[in-house]
Amino acid sequence: MDNNSFAGKSGFGTWRAGRSDWRLQVLSVFSLSVAFICLAASLLVVTNIESLRDRWSRAGRATVYLKDGAKDPDIAALSQALEHTEGVSRVRRITPDEARREVVSTDEALAALPAEAFPGSLEVAFDDSITDDQLKTIALKLRALPAVETVETYERWTERLSALLGGGVTASACLAFIVLAAVVSVVGSTMRLLLQRRKIEVEVLRLVGATDSFVRRPFVFEGASQGALGATLALAILGVLFLIVKDHFDQQLANMLGITPSFLPWHLAIGMVALGGVLGATTAFVSLRKLASV
Amino acid sequence: MAGSSQGSFRNQALRAGHRYDPSAASRPILVFDNVFKSYRPDQPVLRGMSLVIERGEFVFVTGPSGSGKSTLLRLIHRTEQVDDGRILFLGRDVSRLPDSAIPALRRNIGVVFQDFRLVPSWTVFDNVAIALEVIGLPQRLIRTRVGEALERVGLAGRGSDAARVLSGGEQQRVAIARSLVHEPALILADEPTGNLDPQLAIDILGLFEDIHETGTTVLFATHDRSLLDVRPRRIVILDEGKATDVPPEMSQFDDEDDLDDDDYSDVDVDVEAA
Repeated sequence: MDNNSFAGKSGFGTWRAGRSDWRLQVLSVFSLSVAFICLAASLLVVTNIESLRDRWSRAGRATVYLKDGAKDPDIAALSQALEHTEGVSRVRRITPDEARREVVSTDEALAALPAEAFPGSLEVAFDDSITDDQLKTIALKLRALPAVETVETYERWTERLSALLGGGVTASACLAFIVLAAVVSVVGSTMRLLLQRRKIEVEVLRLVGATDSFVRRPFVFEGASQGALGATLALAILGVLFLIVKDHFDQQLANMLGITPSFLPWHLAIGMVALGGVLGATTAFVSLRKLASV
Repeated sequence: MAGSSQGSFRNQALRAGHRYDPSAASRPILVFDNVFKSYRPDQPVLRGMSLVIERGEFVFVTGPSGSGKSTLLRLIHRTEQVDDGRILFLGRDVSRLPDSAIPALRRNIGVVFQDFRLVPSWTVFDNVAIALEVIGLPQRLIRTRVGEALERVGLAGRGSDAARVLSGGEQQRVAIARSLVHEPALILADEPTGNLDPQLAIDILGLFEDIHETGTTVLFATHDRSLLDVRPRRIVILDEGKATDVPPEMSQFDDEDDLDDDDYSDVDVDVEAA
């Protein structure tokens, strides 16, 4: 009576759910994917706000204000030295006249301001490789030069913006966590309902002398595959929606925010599929324990 | 009354690896020894019930509603646990089996219920084959044995039909095929004709008698009096928490109605708890 074969021992021989009740399977995968779409969307928000914070945590530029009496050869030498400094991508000289024209073009009321209000300057742009410490060192050295009045690195402004966006990241991460809790609940309920609908299968298996592992294994495997499939479907749907939105707003967002929105990184996507699998398997296991008292 | 058979010898052990005991063949297949069971403290179902079933017997268990017929069968199958006493099946005390040995116990018993207990979305073949899949028989052998079982219950060629499309009588035949396909030592039938019309009920009883002819012990719980009259069989009445054998001269009832509580009070029998 105790002959063994893989199918018999493992319980996979009894895994008839897929072909016998496929509508129920499709419905539960769809329910899970809806829950995972919410999770993936909230993670997408977290990811992109993080990118935005990283982009705006540094202004990426500095203004070197020159003294009124600074001579052209000194300014040219300074400009040349800056261009050869590591991390500097561009240097542009703005004369007092150019500064006045630029400001007055936006607001004519400012034309009455005295000439000292529009000092000459060097606008320095940095590439992404430069660190905050390197920027501070460069600013310190520039301030020590005789032709330099002061150096503005916009540090205070970027710190505020960074703090603001950091708050946004935290808030969206909290939201993602709440959505995760909802996803756990939805996956649990879906698995419970699915198993409740198939309670008779568990009863029959018990009736004919199936062991606990024989009963559990196919259901747990099914829970895992449904969870993973639901998460994958959610990523696919969100990916398509993301591409549609990106095609329409990519340029506007790049101009407005300075970044192009990105989809979930691959490690997060794989993590979500794995989470779906683990949640599906766990909830199926727990639900079966409650049904096991047949 | 007692009769040994090939069918009942096949599964001497309740556990894989259990040593074969030749003397077990001469023992009763089932012994209830002073069994107590209650679901509520103030309403005991079985009160010191004792009963012996020999190998190869066909026994009707009857009694009024709530007398404990189903409980009796559930205790054998270890779906319920006794409060006190012993139930020996093939010489082993079912009530003291560890949980890990219960699946092996159930593989030695076939069960048929009034409500069929089939998976509606599975095919007839799958519903029967499951009893063999749990013991790990190869698929080739499963196909052969299921085919034979379906033929025995008159459903040859219906293996691919979904269980949900079958009539009540056909569904009960599938359940019977499932109960016998693994050639158990004992078949428990819990009101198997309760949902069927009288003619179908007699047909189903005939199936159980055919199974019994091959040497399998059958315990048939029913309160349908007409079935008790079809053929003289041992009849055990459950009442007031005790089992009582009906003497042969009393076992033929006059009318065709189902038994009610009053029928049992008039039966004057010797209490011969084994």
